[in-house]
Amino acid sequence: MQKLYTLVVLLLVSLAAYAQDGRSIYNKYSDLANVEAVYISPAMFRLIGKIPDMPVEEGSVNLGPIIKTLSGLYILSIKEDQVAQNLADDVNRFIQKGQYELLMEAKDNGEVMRMYTVGDDFVVNSFVMLARENDEVNFICLDGTIPRDQLEALIADAASN
Amino acid sequence: MKSIDEITRLSAEDLERISLDESIPVPEELPGKVREAVAATAGQANRRRWILPSGIAAAVAVLVAVGLTLTRNPEPKDTFDDPYLAYAEVEKVFSKISGAVAYGAEKVNESEQTLDKFSYWKCKSFIPSWCCSS
Repeated sequence: MQKLYTLVVLLLVSLAAYAQDGRSIYNKYSDLANVEAVYISPAMFRLIGKIPDMPVEEGSVNLGPIIKTLSGLYILSIKEDQVAQNLADDVNRFIQKGQYELLMEAKDNGEVMRMYTVGDDFVVNSFVMLARENDEVNFICLDGTIPRDQLEALIADAASN
Repeated sequence: MKSIDEITRLSAEDLERISLDESIPVPEELPGKVREAVAATAGQANRRRWILPSGIAAAVAVLVAVGLTLTRNPEPKDTFDDPYLAYAEVEKVFSKISGAVAYGAEKVNESEQTLDKFSYWKCKSFIPSWCCSS
């Protein structure tokens, strides 16, 4: 009997942990006032991937190779102070529970920007960027099966432009 | 002494007749053993009686949890209908990310330059000028 209860409790806890992801955070904040929210679905990513010749402007990066590996993009931008703080707290909890690895952190005059990834040496399953500037918090979450070398090359390429 | 098989084959009348036969000696520990056996059987029956309802309750709890998770976390509506606009947004995101990376790289560069200056002045202060001619 105790084994059964333990199993049920473990299952419920794991379900609760599973619920903490980019989507749940997006759903929680996207409808609030003073929140800018953008969501791109896996279906839309598949549609973008099917467009044969996506124009690449000079000075822009070619996202063609990586776009097919993406399955979701969640963006939240919040200016209201208390809500922004709540978002930052929620994202930090989700980062800790999701076993994300800190990729980069930059701090300057109270502004903080952190990037996290979760995956293995070859594939990134989720990329999260949390940036706090004054009273504004920006949250970007990219889900997919992104080859790590392609993602790093793309970011480096864009940074050099 | 009869074996268990032989006893189970006896009819109720035979069992009653034997139980009333006072010539058959009754072992002293028998009543205690019978009580223990009855208690153990009752405990097992009680446990069995609880397994089914608690199993059903557990299954219901799991279904409710799964249902709640799915209904409270539905897929959001796409912000863009046009894939070109969606692509432009993804491009904007990558330029934001790369901007942040470039900013970090710039900071590292600045730190390296400060370290270089520090090494230069350290060299100037303690070592003759011909040493730092470069």
